[in-house]
Amino acid sequence: MKLKKVAALSLATVMVAGMLAGCGNSPAAEESTGAAEQTGAEGEETASAEGDVTIWYYWENEGHQKALDELIKGYNDSQDEVAVQAKYVPFADFKKQLSIGASADELPDLVILDNPDHASYASMGIFADITGKFDVSSYYDGPVASCTLDEKLYGVPFGSNCLGLYYNEDMLNEAGCTVPTTWDELKETAEKLSTDSVSGLAFCSLQNEEGTFNFMPWVWSTGATSYEMNTENGVKALTFVKDLVDSGAMSKECINWTQGDVMNQFISGNAAMMINGPWQIATMREEAPDLKWNVALIPKDAQNASALGGENYAVIAGGNEEGALKFLEYATSDEQVNFMMNTMGYISADKSIAETQFADDPIMKVFVEEMQYAQARGPLPEWPDVSDAISLAFNEVMTGSATPEEAAATAQSTIDEIVQ
Amino acid sequence: MKSVKKFFQYDNIGLLFVLPAFLYMLVFVGYPIIDNIILSFQNVTVKNLVSGSRDFVGLKNYFDIFKDQVFIKALWNTLFFTVSCLVIQFIIGFGLALFFCKNFKFAKAVRGLLMMPWMIPITVTALIFKFIFGTDVGILNYILQSFGLIQQNIEWLTTANTAMFAIICANIWIGIPFNMILISTGLTTIPKELYESASIDGSGKLNTFIKITLPLLKPTIESVLILGFIYTFKVFDLVYVMTSGGPVNSTHMLSTYSYKLSFEMFKYSKGSAVANVLLVILLVISILYLRTTTKEEDA
Amino acid sequence: MDDDKKLTGKTNIIFCIISILLLCLLLFPLFWIIVTSLKTEQEIFQIPPTLIPDTLNLKSYAAQVKSGDFNMFSSFANSLVISFGAMAVAVVLSVPASYGIAKYRFQGRKLMLLGFMVTQMLPVSVLLTPMFIMFKNMHVYNTPLAAILADATIGIPFSVLILKNYFASIPRELEEAAYIDGCNRFTAFVRVLIPIAKPGVMVCAIFSFLYAWGDLAYGMTFIIDQQKRPITAGIFNFMGQYGTKWSYLTAFAVVTIIPVALIFIFMQKYIISGMTSGAVKG
Repeated sequence: MKLKKVAALSLATVMVAGMLAGCGNSPAAEESTGAAEQTGAEGEETASAEGDVTIWYYWENEGHQKALDELIKGYNDSQDEVAVQAKYVPFADFKKQLSIGASADELPDLVILDNPDHASYASMGIFADITGKFDVSSYYDGPVASCTLDEKLYGVPFGSNCLGLYYNEDMLNEAGCTVPTTWDELKETAEKLSTDSVSGLAFCSLQNEEGTFNFMPWVWSTGATSYEMNTENGVKALTFVKDLVDSGAMSKECINWTQGDVMNQFISGNAAMMINGPWQIATMREEAPDLKWNVALIPKDAQNASALGGENYAVIAGGNEEGALKFLEYATSDEQVNFMMNTMGYISADKSIAETQFADDPIMKVFVEEMQYAQARGPLPEWPDVSDAISLAFNEVMTGSATPEEAAATAQSTIDEIVQ
Repeated sequence: MKSVKKFFQYDNIGLLFVLPAFLYMLVFVGYPIIDNIILSFQNVTVKNLVSGSRDFVGLKNYFDIFKDQVFIKALWNTLFFTVSCLVIQFIIGFGLALFFCKNFKFAKAVRGLLMMPWMIPITVTALIFKFIFGTDVGILNYILQSFGLIQQNIEWLTTANTAMFAIICANIWIGIPFNMILISTGLTTIPKELYESASIDGSGKLNTFIKITLPLLKPTIESVLILGFIYTFKVFDLVYVMTSGGPVNSTHMLSTYSYKLSFEMFKYSKGSAVANVLLVILLVISILYLRTTTKEEDA
Repeated sequence: MDDDKKLTGKTNIIFCIISILLLCLLLFPLFWIIVTSLKTEQEIFQIPPTLIPDTLNLKSYAAQVKSGDFNMFSSFANSLVISFGAMAVAVVLSVPASYGIAKYRFQGRKLMLLGFMVTQMLPVSVLLTPMFIMFKNMHVYNTPLAAILADATIGIPFSVLILKNYFASIPRELEEAAYIDGCNRFTAFVRVLIPIAKPGVMVCAIFSFLYAWGDLAYGMTFIIDQQKRPITAGIFNFMGQYGTKWSYLTAFAVVTIIPVALIFIFMQKYIISGMTSGAVKG
């Protein structure tokens, strides 16, 4: 008796749901066939390029938002076929919104997304294949690789950045230290600089992609790849980070700090050195104009290494592709790229632009130099899985809940399941 | 015969009152439930979310998650968190409700002000407690140190056990007013005459409480606890903002882990399976609750 | 069971003092963020911490007014629209439903009660995608209505379960007296029962309002335009933007709290009087 009721209830639910989905779907279907007829009648390209292009992006930084607005305004004023508008989706929500949007077929026409996620969405099939439509030969390899899946191009690099070592000049001078260039020097310097209220070094170690981004340089510097955690080198990187925390040279709080938090710690004098990216520079100069700091390459173990950050443009398949591509052509022109990169403190992914971009900025020059050592995360559709395993590993090690060997072994078993 | 007919007419009118709300919930939440159950038996990942075939894989996702250490941890965490919060906030809330039903001058005003923690958006509460439990910046460490209770700052949110403690504290802070106000409201439904006759009979305060207050408050207590259980068991925002499940997954709850699987790692089907485990547990609790309450009604 | 007799003299004073102590203890976190929001970033990290700011710093508040394309006032208005909407939907649907469940023994009653309980058990992560698809098909995606409809699903089951106890405690004789006076079932419900259950209805209305007010996930997912989003989405953005810049964060938190507090203190008169007047008596 009860079972029957439950069955009837579920049946009713399915029916109601079906009705809802059904009545919603039919007008949409009509619309699309209607649009197809129109296109056929009016001729090919002009009809489909006309209309709106919506962009999703996630920069919460006001300067970045204004730069993008200006870029878009410039484009909208230059022609009247396509009207572009940008919508801000918070970073923490960006992946979710894209996933849900993909299931519901409610996506923008263009997205500006974090490069390690690019492969996942490309494999989801929501990005248009734009192979041959853009010349990316002058771009750095890393950023282009992040847009590529199965040898097809699914996007254009927007701009790049990488991590470097920031240091507080006054603190270093006071302690009589020189700028560290190797791991041993870094450890020694960080320990010397640490006091009750100041930690020698800080870098974001959140248990997420942001943390992985900041941890990978240590792994790569040993010569290991992202997929070789349970090797002598992988364990070495974990041990290095563990020693920094155990010796008090680095605060354990780093596991709760975003890169923005780390920067705040640095400019308020709570951290003597930090690993961070060039996008912080504008804020740092504004908030702490009197602080004396400088930048150097990340100290190395076997080789120089940094992590490649930055965003890519990706055109959504089935959206206003023509319009999006037209906007992209405008946005990737030398003039616009220069404007965006300089305003945002980014390095152009286009080598020819990057090399001349910061001729008279000694700090940015360091980052441009670091760019050649910057490696991309992935590209791999399952990168979020790999990243999760790695970030768990360094969090375990930093909180002391596992030894480097144990953490490396756990991470490796997850990675091996994904990457054969 | 006539009366039987009338009885049915009478009771079926009740259905008309209930139906609009029921259908509303059926449409907006019933459909997601079904959708989620189907999803949990498929193998939907990043590769076939939009296109490609979704194969049915039976119970595979469920077997997988029960082999997953983080899931087991999240399951245990959720239970531990819920029970701790429920017990503590209920006791404190009940105490406060009894205290404030005395008719002293500030009673109404203060009781009203105590509702404040409950009305603050949880996102903000999470932020407040993150601040209070901070290692260097947090006031709690300072207070404990100045009373000489600790020598060194405790790293509340970066140590597994203390992070859980911090989250429980934050949740209890929200839960106290919830319990207090519902129990207060329940207390007003108890007829005063009963107390008067009890005092005439000369029974003591404790006796009156056990013999009169508790039994008459039973329906209220039951709903407070069951609602509290449901809302605590699926806690999300608080944990998501305070620790995001960290450090080292030590504060993951079923809800946050399901969210992480679905929206951060693109394992949609696994995320659904985790959510369904949560659902089944709550369902069992609800059925038990309904069993006991309807028995009383029938009796 | 509010004691009618007023406490006087010493007992009154003792109770008042205890209640103030309780207030200080329980509301300390709120006091603390208000104080913090008025300090400079340096003073926040100062040891020993100051209970009253040395130098009054209002910069954190000023920063929000001119922050980006996010407008605090409009997002506050958005939150109000969404919360009142969700409250209205929840009350209109749940008051009759709880009455029906409390007073009638129709077939499938228990199942429906179970249904109401089940509907509030799903974690948000599984609700978001299917709801999104539904709202898109209903053409309410990216409008306040989407958030209203979604937020009401939190308030309805809650209100039904709370209010059914209220209606159950109302003696049948009252209802029957109404029938003798010429009411039918519906008019009796509207004219006699709802007024008696008013404190319960108020509590449900307020809780439904607050559930909607505190919602982050729905407002954020179903509304994509920044200028249409609720204020909680604003805090969330702010947290992403300023991380642990506590002066800014606490100032924003205070701004979100103060207006609600005002509304609440205003409405509280109604709840508390409803609660303590003992409207529901045997």
